[in-house]
Amino acid sequence: MLKIDQLVSGYGTVQILNGANMKVDNQSIVALLGGNGTGKSTILKATSGLIRAWKGSIEFDGEQIHNLPPHEIVGRGLVQVTQGKDVFPAMSVTENLRLGGFILKTKKQLNDNLEKVFNYFPRLNERKDQLAATLSGGELQMLCIGRGLMSNPKMIMLDEPSAALAPQIVLDIFKNINRIRKDGLTVLIVEQNVRMALLLADYGYVIKDGVINVEGDSKKLMYDESVKESYLGGTKVNVQ
Amino acid sequence: MFNKLRIGKKGENIIFSVFVLIYIAWCVNSPDMNIESLKSVLTIGLSVGIIYGLVALGISLIYTGLDVVNFSHGEFFMIGAFAGLTMFNVLGDQDWIFNVFPDAYGWIIYVVCLFTAFVSMGLFGVFIERVFLRPLTKKGGGYTVAGMGIIICGFGLSVVLINVAYLIWNPVAKPFPAELGLPMEIGGLFLPITYIWMIIVGLGVAAGLWFFLNKTKMGLGIRAVAFSKDVSNLVGINVPLYISIIFGIACAIAGIGGTLVGPTYQVVVFMGYIILMKAFAAAVVGGFGNLPGAIVGGFTVGIFETASSFYISGSHKDLYAFLLMIVVLMIKPTGFFGTQVKMKA
Repeated sequence: MLKIDQLVSGYGTVQILNGANMKVDNQSIVALLGGNGTGKSTILKATSGLIRAWKGSIEFDGEQIHNLPPHEIVGRGLVQVTQGKDVFPAMSVTENLRLGGFILKTKKQLNDNLEKVFNYFPRLNERKDQLAATLSGGELQMLCIGRGLMSNPKMIMLDEPSAALAPQIVLDIFKNINRIRKDGLTVLIVEQNVRMALLLADYGYVIKDGVINVEGDSKKLMYDESVKESYLGGTKVNVQ
Repeated sequence: MFNKLRIGKKGENIIFSVFVLIYIAWCVNSPDMNIESLKSVLTIGLSVGIIYGLVALGISLIYTGLDVVNFSHGEFFMIGAFAGLTMFNVLGDQDWIFNVFPDAYGWIIYVVCLFTAFVSMGLFGVFIERVFLRPLTKKGGGYTVAGMGIIICGFGLSVVLINVAYLIWNPVAKPFPAELGLPMEIGGLFLPITYIWMIIVGLGVAAGLWFFLNKTKMGLGIRAVAFSKDVSNLVGINVPLYISIIFGIACAIAGIGGTLVGPTYQVVVFMGYIILMKAFAAAVVGGFGNLPGAIVGGFTVGIFETASSFYISGSHKDLYAFLLMIVVLMIKPTGFFGTQVKMKA
C-alpha cells in the first residue's frame, strides 16, 4: 500500500531523515516507534506532503506521491491524523467533521460518512452541536480520527493517538483503530506508548537518528532486547 | 497607563462609558444640536461608516486569513472606484439601455457598475496576490513567516498602484454622475439618495459575506484556512488557492466600496490613502481581525467623525477617527469585539 524508499527530508536546512525505508501492507496495522526527536513525525509529514521529500521516493497505491501537494495526497486516499488534537476549536463538532469530508463531491456521501463516524464514536454524536473547544482530551482525539475517516481514505496515519490520555480511553481508542482496520483500512500508527502499539500492530518499525533501526513482527519486536532497552524501560513485557 | 492599574474588562467598559457620556454631553451642549441635525448626522455618519466598515472588513479578512496587514488595501478601493466609473462611462454612451428601461436606467447602469467593480477587483486582487505577494513566501513558512516583507511590499504596492492609476486616469478628480433620482429630505437637509443606497448595499455585502463564510462549503474552507494552514492541508483543502480566494474577496469588497462612494463624492487617484487609514481606525475600534467588529467599528468611526465635525469643529474632520482610535487603544485595547488571544474568523 505505502512504500517509502530511502527517504531524506527535514526542516529548513536541518536534515532529520537520513534514508528511511518502510513498507505498509494492505489492511495491516503497522507501528512506527521511536524516542523523541528521532523523525517519526517527520516521516508522516513528508508522506502527507506538508514538507517536501529531499531525496528518495514515496509510493502509495502504485503511484509516486512525494511531489504532490497535500490536498491531492488526501484526494488519493492517504490521510494523516495530526498529533496534539489539532481541531478547529471555534467550530462545532459537526463542522469539524464536515471539514474532514471536504473533498467529497456529494452531500449524500458526506451524510453517510457522518453516520459511519458517529457509529465508531457515539460520544461525538452526543456532542455534535458543541464547540470543539469544549470537548475533553479523549473526545478531541476521537474527533481527530473521525475527521480523518470522513474523506473515505484507503489508509490512515495516526500521530500519537494515545498522547496525554487516560489508559481507559487509550484502550477504547485502540479498540476502535482495530475496528477501522477490520473495515478494510490500512493503518500506520506512530506511538511512544510502545507496549500498546505493539499489542495492536502486525508489524513494527523502530526509528533511530532518521533511519529505520530495527524492524520485524510486532510479537518479535516486543521481546527484542534492543527495543526493550531503548523504549520499554528494560522491563519484561507480559503478553497473553 | 491604564494597563498598570489592572482595571479588568468591567473597569474598561465603565471608563469607556464615561468617555462616551462626556462626549455626548459635549455634543448636546452645542448650539447646533436639534433633532433635525441629529437625523442628518446619523444618516451621513452611517453611510460614511459603512464604507470604512467595508474596507476594514477586507483588512480584517486578510489579517485573519493571511496573518498580514495589507497596507495597499486603500488602493484597491480607489481602483475599484475607477473600474466602476469606467464601466459607467461605457454604459452611459449606450442609448439602448435608456430606450429599453426609460424609468430605471440609472439604477440598472449603477448596479452593473457595482458588479463590475466587484468582479474586476476580485480578479485583480487574485492577480496581485499571485504575482507580487506569493513569491515572497517561496522561502518557506508561508505568509506567517514572510509577514514583515509582505507588509513593506504592501506600502510599495500602494505607491505603485497610485502611480499606475495616475498614468491611466490622470490626477483630476472626476465626477461620477450616477442618475439615481431626486435627493431625499432628511432632517431638513437634502441628501442624495446615494447615502441611503450606500448603507443598504454595504450592509447587503456584509450580510452576504457572513452567509458565504458560515453557510457554504467554500466559506467553511476559508474559516479552516484562516485558523490553521497545516490542518487545512491535511483535510484536503487546496490552501494556496484558498489564500488567493481570501485576498480576492477582500479586494472585491473594497472595490464595491469605491464604486459606492463615487457618486456621493468624487473619484480621484488619492482617495485610497485616507480611507485606508480610517478603515484601519475602524478595524481597531471594532477589534482587529473580527469581521462583525469591522462593520460596527466602521459605523462608530463614521458617526463619531460626522457628529464631531457637526457639533464640535468642522475644520478638523480627518482628525476625529484617529482620536477615537487612540482613546479606544488606551482604554479598551482589544476593541469592541476583539479578544486578547487571536481568534480566527
